Amino acid sequence: MNPSMAKPNWILSLLILCCFIFPSVLFATIEEESQKEEFNEELLLKPLPDRKVLAHFHFDSKANFFSYNGGFHLHLFPKAIYQLVHKFHVKEMELSFTQGRWNYERWGGFDPISSSNAKPPGVELWAVFDAPPSQVDALWKNLTHTLSGLFCSSINFLESSTTYSAPDWGFRAYSGSLRYGTLPREAVCTENLTPWLKLLPCRDKAGLAELMDRPSIYRGFYHSQRLHLVSSGFGSNSVDSEIELEQTLTVVLQPSTQRWATSYSTGSAMQPSWSLRTIFGREINKKCILAKSSNVYLQLDRGLVSEMKKKGFRPDFATSDISITNPAFELSPSPEKMIREVDNLNDVESSILYVFVIEKYVDAKPFDLVLTWKLPVAWSCSQAPLLANRFLMGSGNERGAIVISLKSINHHQSLVGTGAYGEKCNLHINVFQVVPWYVKVYYHTLRIYINGQVQPAANVTRKMRVSPSEDKVSPGALELALAFPCSMKSAELSLDFDKGFLHIDEYPPDANQGFDIPSALISFPDFHSSISFAEDSSLSPILSRLKKRSPALAYTEVLLVPLTTPDFSMPYNVITITCTVFALYFGSLLNVLRRRVDEEERRLEERAKRKSGKLRQQLQKLFARVRGRPLEQHPNPSAPSSSKTNSKLIMKVGLMVLIAVVWQYYLR
Amino acid sequence: MPEISRGENPPSEPSTKNSDKMAETSAGESESTPENQSELFDSSKMRKTKPGIKRLSLTLCVLFSFLLGFPFLLKSVEIYRSPLPFKYMDSLSSVIESEPLLFPCRFQAVFLGFNDELNDADKLGSLIADRMREVVGHDRACGSCRNNFTVSVSLELEKGCVQSENGENGCLWQCGLLKDADVATKWKDDDFVDELLDNALSGGQKCSGSNGKVYSIVVVEKDEEVRAVVGKHRHGWIIGKLSKEEAVERVAEIFVKVFINGGKEEGSIHGEFMPVGADGRVVLSFSLLNADPHDWIYNWDFQRVNEILVTPVVEALAPIANISVESQILYHTPKSFFSHWDDQRGAYIYDSKDLPFFVNSNEWHLDTSTAAGGRSKILHIVVYIPSERECPLLLQLPNGEISMTNGFISPMWGGIIVWNPSGCSGHSGTTTDGRHTIPFKDLENIVEVFMGQLRQLFGLKSEGLYVGSSDRVKLLASERGFSNWELDLLARQHTCFNLQSCATTLGSLSRLVQSLPRMIIKDEIGKQVEYSLQAANFAQSNASVGAYDDSAVLSRQARSLAEDSFFHPSIMSVSYYSFEHCFAVYSPFFLPVALHVLLAAVKEWKRYKQEKSKYLTWKAKEVVS
Repeated sequence: MNPSMAKPNWILSLLILCCFIFPSVLFATIEEESQKEEFNEELLLKPLPDRKVLAHFHFDSKANFFSYNGGFHLHLFPKAIYQLVHKFHVKEMELSFTQGRWNYERWGGFDPISSSNAKPPGVELWAVFDAPPSQVDALWKNLTHTLSGLFCSSINFLESSTTYSAPDWGFRAYSGSLRYGTLPREAVCTENLTPWLKLLPCRDKAGLAELMDRPSIYRGFYHSQRLHLVSSGFGSNSVDSEIELEQTLTVVLQPSTQRWATSYSTGSAMQPSWSLRTIFGREINKKCILAKSSNVYLQLDRGLVSEMKKKGFRPDFATSDISITNPAFELSPSPEKMIREVDNLNDVESSILYVFVIEKYVDAKPFDLVLTWKLPVAWSCSQAPLLANRFLMGSGNERGAIVISLKSINHHQSLVGTGAYGEKCNLHINVFQVVPWYVKVYYHTLRIYINGQVQPAANVTRKMRVSPSEDKVSPGALELALAFPCSMKSAELSLDFDKGFLHIDEYPPDANQGFDIPSALISFPDFHSSISFAEDSSLSPILSRLKKRSPALAYTEVLLVPLTTPDFSMPYNVITITCTVFALYFGSLLNVLRRRVDEEERRLEERAKRKSGKLRQQLQKLFARVRGRPLEQHPNPSAPSSSKTNSKLIMKVGLMVLIAVVWQYYLR
Repeated sequence: MPEISRGENPPSEPSTKNSDKMAETSAGESESTPENQSELFDSSKMRKTKPGIKRLSLTLCVLFSFLLGFPFLLKSVEIYRSPLPFKYMDSLSSVIESEPLLFPCRFQAVFLGFNDELNDADKLGSLIADRMREVVGHDRACGSCRNNFTVSVSLELEKGCVQSENGENGCLWQCGLLKDADVATKWKDDDFVDELLDNALSGGQKCSGSNGKVYSIVVVEKDEEVRAVVGKHRHGWIIGKLSKEEAVERVAEIFVKVFINGGKEEGSIHGEFMPVGADGRVVLSFSLLNADPHDWIYNWDFQRVNEILVTPVVEALAPIANISVESQILYHTPKSFFSHWDDQRGAYIYDSKDLPFFVNSNEWHLDTSTAAGGRSKILHIVVYIPSERECPLLLQLPNGEISMTNGFISPMWGGIIVWNPSGCSGHSGTTTDGRHTIPFKDLENIVEVFMGQLRQLFGLKSEGLYVGSSDRVKLLASERGFSNWELDLLARQHTCFNLQSCATTLGSLSRLVQSLPRMIIKDEIGKQVEYSLQAANFAQSNASVGAYDDSAVLSRQARSLAEDSFFHPSIMSVSYYSFEHCFAVYSPFFLPVALHVLLAAVKEWKRYKQEKSKYLTWKAKEVVS
């Protein structure tokens, strides 16, 4: 055996050895952690430019199932969600309950929180299924019913095929068995929050969720409760499977305004000082012992930091034992550490994150975070390149137009290098719009105005997918990828529509209020909002969430279309009037058939002969006139006959005039 | 209608009698009325021509066409009703209500080592059977054998073997099986004897086929105190010094009270204590509740418990219910009452009057399960770990003693087991964050308690002892929780309950459907009813030949299908097409038209009669003249 053969042999034996050792090692680890469940809770607080405070609760449950075998036994992960994922083959799902509208202008439109947590009002649900396309609709229907039971809401209305659509690429980057539906009018309240909290291992008994005082969070300007789950390995026969459940609650609250002071020197008002106690009315008394980490973060925006730097305050604040102070504000208790955003582009504008680890504080006394401003600061949040609005045009009950208006933010020129398309500088946006079937949109009427000038759609459109609505079967969906020139100041997209008629039993209660057109989604595929911090983000789910690159999104307003509403007693009215007409016709026909004309005339003659009393005659005259038959008087036959012909003539003329008028005004 | 009134009024007006003379004659005859006959001819009383029947026939024609058309109209507005076999449905319910199911039971008694005076097996068999009839008495409980049993007797005597006549198919005790020397010494070891007898009797069981199972009792004559034991399979044994009468008495009592009635006084299941859902499914939802995770967090290896301890039970109960198992751990789940400290026992005590408040439905989010859709039943098994503030937590029974199991059941809801961590000092010898796992030994104890609770939920006794009138009988506990004869008993009772429930459901469906003629009945409901009746019939026929398990499965199907048909969603739509609606739609047309048609017909008829009489008087007058 020569050496060249010997070497492979040696390697082979090593390999075989490895084959024997490795599985045993692997098995050991599998046995050790056949199931790994983890729960993290975090709260991000952020002062907003318009004197409000953003509170973003983030609860993250993860479960790994290495030996998945059907009936699983759970320790931390909510059983209901596990069964839901397992039963309906959900690969990814997001459900949000929102009240109020995210103010993109003031609260920011280009940061991870706004692009993932700014949601359209009402309920939005989308789900990706790990199932063959033929089963997806059935799974979706069952899922909506289950969720509606789970969250005490009317998500089951999304069951009907007229309410959900299957977007291809306009909603999310990948296609597949995705279904998307919204209920813009769903009222969101505490009965939706309670079942949502039930999914947390500590519920609101301990930990950050203790802060969720119902009156305070529902008093806010914006309230969005979201549930996002990603699963893997359930549909296939792979050994290990994983579910990650992310529950977030985003609220924008107004701190109580008692300690406001206007700074007259600068003319701008002082930011309100606040504490957890003043904005929520509660403090954190106990930490959730089941949570792996339980942190509170205070984020200072890029704009705020740069503004403070401009004013000469150094960002590395002087730290004392109980609180940190700098000339602009004071924080107590002092944070565990300060993390700075790592931004390669410009060093100046980087946001700052103060970390408070709850375990360190709670043991001694309830945790309360107090932020006191000392100097007025004014700043603005980072914006998406375009500000999207949507409105209706036209009046009346017949037709109208939907217009999506996109306005450029002044400083968007600085963001322009991103979408280089050919040689020109381009700004790419995607529009996704679902329209219910009774708003019959004519997609060929799509007009695009740039800076007020009509542009041929072909110049701007890169990609377009239209799935027209089908009456009473499916809604219409428009997915549009556009490329605007960078020099653009404003753009408008308009689509004409006709208002359709619904069947009488398709009208919802209170139909006169109007019908909602769900929000359109404008996404900017070239603008990715992410904030990466110097800290290792794998330790904290919220940091890794912030770091994740996601395209900037903006939802437009919900539109309210008034449709013609019928009188709902109409069917019975129609029935009654038709039947009466028929009955009249039938009765008179029958009577005509069995009438004895000459007999009656003879009788009338005789009667007239007999009774010549004045009063009687008058009465009879009246009677005859009412009957529409000329009175025949025998004593002087000449005069009445002339009057009879006269009245007949007048009647004929009148009838002709009436017919002419009707012809003129109505039938033409 | 002016025309009508004008046509009718003149004859009745007395003032116009004379002037009406002319009017009443019809147009055709007016010119032929000569003046000279006017004194003789009173036109108000007679006429010369036959009255015409044109108008009368027209109105009558319209009237009759309306009457004829009415059935067609009703037919056209008829709603679809799938034809239901009402006759069978009613007959099923009446049959099952009038005569409860009778299951055949077969018993055999084996007498070992008796002296030769006892040699007439047939006589002994009839003695036992008579005694059993006495014990059964007038028990009408459904699911028992009542008087539908056979008893065979084998006598293994020193000189030979005697068997009774009715052991026809030779499926009986084979003599000489227990002759081994070491058997005699081991009669004390119950488990050993149980296995031994099972082996000895299984030959007999095999040949019984589907034709019922044989319950056996072996009576062994020995010089010692009398002991009676019932094993895990379908047999028991009595050892001791017994006279013939005593032996017959005891054998009969064990046959009736244990094998037929399961050691309980009340025979059949009451509807409100039926632990199986209407679709024949049960979800066993195990929850481990950590009352306060700040004190300690306990975890369990439920996977292992399920595989080793729970799955055999689930499999054993398969004919009776389709059982699925799931588990979860919940935290922050305090109970909703306060216990009191007892210095003497060194424990926190709660007693039976606190039990209604133990389940704190505000904080215990036990949750329903997606596995339990529709009408299936969830039985919650809750293991409650008290917080450190009230540990150990013990249940005081009404008689003042401390409960051995420290748990209780709530019928139809499930069971609660309180488990106190050892020593109640969670911080000693643990990891830093107070996380522990319940030791497997403790889990086994918990499952043992659960098994007792499950037996109680299914209506069996939880202790392994039956105290009869003459003696106490020891019941061996099976590792599957339920011994074979208990499963037979459950199968019989559940078959009976299911069939009764199916019959009442179908009976009320039939009454409901017949009482609401405008209710839409879909084909699906018809199919479900049909299948349910089929399954019920099969279950009955299986029960009559003694195939307990098959009849239990079929009866479950019958019940579930009957419930499905009764609660079919389309039945709810009855109110949308009511008779009132139909009336409101059609009356605006038919009411006024009917008025016209009827009045016209009546008037024409009256007129015709009047005119005819006039004509007849004229005719008579003419004949006279």
